[in-house]
Amino acid sequence: MQLGRKSTLLFFIASLSLFNVSAQTQTETYRARLSPMPTTPQTVTEIIGEGEVILTLSGNTLTVDGNFTGMSSVATMGHIHNGPPAQPGPVAFSLEVSSATGGSISGELELTDEQVTALKNNEFYVQIHSQNNAPGELRGWIFLRSHFQN
Amino acid sequence: MKFLFDVKTRTVSLGLILSLTLVACGSETTEPAAPAAEAAPEITFASQAVLGAEAFATNCAACHGTSLEGTTLGPLLSGFSWVQRWGSQTPELLLNNIQANMPPGGNDNITDEDYLNIVAHILQVNGVDSVFNALTASSVFEIAANISQVVAQRQRPEPPAPVGLTVAGNTEDYVPFVPLTQAMLEDPDPADWPMHRRNHYAHSYSPLDQINTENVGNLTLEWVWNMHEGDSEPAPLVYNGIVYMINPGNVIQALDGKTGELIWEHWTGPANRQDMRNIAMYEDKIIQATTDARLVALDARTGEQVWESIVADSSKGFSNSSGPIVADDKVIVGLAGCARYIPEDCYISAYNADDGALLWQFETIAEMGQPGGDTWGGLDDVFRAGGETWITGSYDPDLKLTYWGTAQQKPWVPVSRHMTIYDVGLYTNSTVAVNTDSGELDWYFQHVPAEALDLDEVFERVLVNRGDDKYVFSIGKYGILWKNDRVTGKFEDYVETVFQNAFTNIDSETGEVTYRQDIQNAQLNEWTSACPSSTGGKDWHSMTYHPPSGLIIAPLSQTCLENAAREVALVQGGGGLAASRKFFEMPGTDGNLGKVGAYNVDTMEEVWSYQQRASLHTGTISTAGDLVFVGDLDRRFKALNINNGEILWETRLGTSVQGHPVSFAIDGKQYIMVNSALGGSSPRTVPGVIATEITYPRWGNAIYVFSLPD
Repeated sequence: MQLGRKSTLLFFIASLSLFNVSAQTQTETYRARLSPMPTTPQTVTEIIGEGEVILTLSGNTLTVDGNFTGMSSVATMGHIHNGPPAQPGPVAFSLEVSSATGGSISGELELTDEQVTALKNNEFYVQIHSQNNAPGELRGWIFLRSHFQN
Repeated sequence: MKFLFDVKTRTVSLGLILSLTLVACGSETTEPAAPAAEAAPEITFASQAVLGAEAFATNCAACHGTSLEGTTLGPLLSGFSWVQRWGSQTPELLLNNIQANMPPGGNDNITDEDYLNIVAHILQVNGVDSVFNALTASSVFEIAANISQVVAQRQRPEPPAPVGLTVAGNTEDYVPFVPLTQAMLEDPDPADWPMHRRNHYAHSYSPLDQINTENVGNLTLEWVWNMHEGDSEPAPLVYNGIVYMINPGNVIQALDGKTGELIWEHWTGPANRQDMRNIAMYEDKIIQATTDARLVALDARTGEQVWESIVADSSKGFSNSSGPIVADDKVIVGLAGCARYIPEDCYISAYNADDGALLWQFETIAEMGQPGGDTWGGLDDVFRAGGETWITGSYDPDLKLTYWGTAQQKPWVPVSRHMTIYDVGLYTNSTVAVNTDSGELDWYFQHVPAEALDLDEVFERVLVNRGDDKYVFSIGKYGILWKNDRVTGKFEDYVETVFQNAFTNIDSETGEVTYRQDIQNAQLNEWTSACPSSTGGKDWHSMTYHPPSGLIIAPLSQTCLENAAREVALVQGGGGLAASRKFFEMPGTDGNLGKVGAYNVDTMEEVWSYQQRASLHTGTISTAGDLVFVGDLDRRFKALNINNGEILWETRLGTSVQGHPVSFAIDGKQYIMVNSALGGSSPRTVPGVIATEITYPRWGNAIYVFSLPD
């Protein structure tokens, strides 16, 4: 079968992703772009900020390392939630988050095989809650980093 | 009504005075009166208005302005135009309308009392000065009847706006006039752009190739002309070197395409700041629809009015935001403003191009007893709303069919309209093919039955021939590029141009869509999260078909929404849209709101795409020079290589680039023309709350013309 242009590109990107493979364990790099939670003209100045989270999957271990800035008030909690793109879901993991309007978000998590599958299916997202926005202020779905390079 | 109301008011006031007097008298001889502080303060219209001002400032002013003057996010709620719109209505209807629809982001923290107070505030600002009793949810007096003459006079714009010709001239002083015949419309001169999207097939394609991939980088500004301020999404026409263009407020201008010299200007009225997208030309006439649902023909040479027809009664909420097409020697126009519960429905109508006489109407809402009338869940005819045709259609001269998209049912969510996901509501959210001779429906295809998220399928229908096969293509707000046989309406194929998660299945054989379960079952005040948002996928900005490559190139948008239905009472005169909405970035797009996507019409595969942070605010056009032109919110106007989407040229205009670019030639020289403009609803509101770092001047409507150096 001859690969189409799109398939060739995907294969090339997949090869690049595997380039980081150590002798024993395959690693994959994921990324979440953090942006404001759903907002309106009335709340646009109250739900603010941005950030980026890089997630590295090695075996079933997911290392989370990110930063955020410009929130309306200090961060109170950071989580990884389980839900397909644009569909909110329950908390799956807690993360360490700076108690400030900007700072870092991190964690080292052990995923079940089911959770690894969910990660690969883009069914996890990172969310940061703040004092003024208890339901959440920043959010971003997790995709393979290469997804953003297409 | 006013008299009765006042009598009642004064009777109550007299009773109150008597009571107070009695209390005062009694206090001298009997037990001490209760301290004054314990008496509940009297609630009056005036006290409601005071509280309403605070509630308005908190919940409404961000979009409608602190003085109800309106902003780019929401219309003005004060002055003559507001009274013209609402003066004949009652506070009860106004309350129902606001409560069902405002604020768009949700009303969790707004009580019924707050809403009443806000209504009192709006009425007071608009000069209601003879009401004393507190408003209730069932106050039914006529608003205008309680505005004194003095205040009413003050509300009239000063000085009065002009009507008719304000600049007199004649295009024949520039070029001999040749009537634009139906035959010429069916095969336009390559130098002309004589109708919206240039040809009957809505290709938005110019066969000019002087400006091409090799030299487009040398484009320079030839001339610029400032337009009237207001909301504007213009689509100019160019015929025989003359530019015809509609400004906000129903003002039409003719300019010399070579120099930008104004030849004539006509104010048809009403003189407002509202938007009209396009106009039409036929023989020696420029034909415009007006924002108050009229059709007016002007002499293309001089701008003098030739005839006028009423499309619909604007006092009942009907309006137009897009102009007509001329097809089969007829003027055919759609209709908007059909969300209210009234006996009249939306329609497409045709008029004699010579005198404006009505020829036929095709109603887009099937009523009881009519074919399709059993698809509205048994709802009484008066409560069947929506089906607007707010985007101009296209035309196949061989088949004598005109193709239009229809908007969705209103209110936006089935539960708000007292219906279920199975009540599909013909002929909403469909492609309708209407015979231009009879006005009868030839076929329809309902793309998204029982629409549930304010994502309508109303936009342009692009007609494409591939060999002997005749197709109609369309993209609605779901961002799905639909391919149908345009002779029969049969579904042929589809491709998703942006991420969507509203449907769990799209049948590849029939095109039937299946909504996600939670969207199917959405209840009142229950938030549903879905992509795309109400700005599309795709919105009013037309896509282009490039015949040499067989590509459709579409301006797309990538945002998502949370949506919650509100309750709407089945009350005649009520209705509305009735949903709370919040917006957010589309996952996986890296925050890129704008996308230009190119699709092969045979394979329906995406051939290339170009993405950027700023949302796109023009239609795409393509040329025989293998170029695509598009503009954005961030003031950038760009030329892309049609073969791969590479940016070959860009420039920055005074404000957001908005409208429909065109290309034309004069004396063998090719020009590219585009507008900068303000206004627009969802396509501007949604980026305004997501890409907040993008700034642009809140004025600067203009037309820019580019060419290659001589």
